[in-house]
Amino acid sequence: MDFSTALRVSASGMAAQRMRMNTISSNIANINTTRTPEGGPYRRKDVVFEAMPDQRNFGEMVTVKPDEQVQRVQVTDVLSDRKAPLMKYEPDNPDANEEGYVAYPNINLMEEMANMIQASRSYEANVSAVQASKDMAMSALEIGR
Amino acid sequence: MSNPLFDKTTNALGATINFRSLRQNVTAANIANAETPGYKAKVVDFEEALGRAIDLEGWTKETATDPEHMIIGPGAISRSRADVYDNPDVNVSNDGNTVDMEKEMATLQENSILYKAALNLINKKLGALRYAATDGGR
Repeated sequence: MDFSTALRVSASGMAAQRMRMNTISSNIANINTTRTPEGGPYRRKDVVFEAMPDQRNFGEMVTVKPDEQVQRVQVTDVLSDRKAPLMKYEPDNPDANEEGYVAYPNINLMEEMANMIQASRSYEANVSAVQASKDMAMSALEIGR
Repeated sequence: MSNPLFDKTTNALGATINFRSLRQNVTAANIANAETPGYKAKVVDFEEALGRAIDLEGWTKETATDPEHMIIGPGAISRSRADVYDNPDVNVSNDGNTVDMEKEMATLQENSILYKAALNLINKKLGALRYAATDGGR
């Protein structure tokens, strides 16, 4: 029951949304990438969010019963999309196969833009939560003034 | 607790501040997990328990004959507890998440305003005490 908990949890939400934003930028930037170090076209990336009990450090984990109800969010994995690549007929392209088709990443720009707006709105919501918690903590300092 | 300088009202306001800071933490967690698959939105319920405790605070301790009985003597307020549970009144989205962002933002702002209101009331109480302690401001 302290303000650092609220601030820490909101910060975890901001970090998770920022991470999501990074993968979305990566997807948009690589929308036409046909070569990757692991071979084949670029595959769309997606983050996995997971709720975790909020614990500050190991010492607290063993001494204090964690408040299970207040959970922070964490990006636990970044997955590659398993959709089949888009095949386009471009016989002149150096990456074309024997039939003249080039494998392009199966990325829908509209979907990425929608996800981007959602991520930035969620980030803003966390910023508002930080702002509200900060205002409360500041006014608590005014008791008895 | 039985200190006449800091009466029932001050105790109740102190408890309110504690509960509201818990609600702030829980709401912040809901907002942070607004897109976590399977996360269930939590709510903090303290108004009813606190209201009951305020009613019972004035009673004397002797009316409780067993330690297991509900605490009704002095200290009822400081020992009242808040309940945190999964919000039953929600829409479940496709991924099992039940956070309603608009509702959470409204709760956040409301909680923040009422927290500050409680702080203002405490300050008024302390101001009145100070006025008396300084001999009417002379």
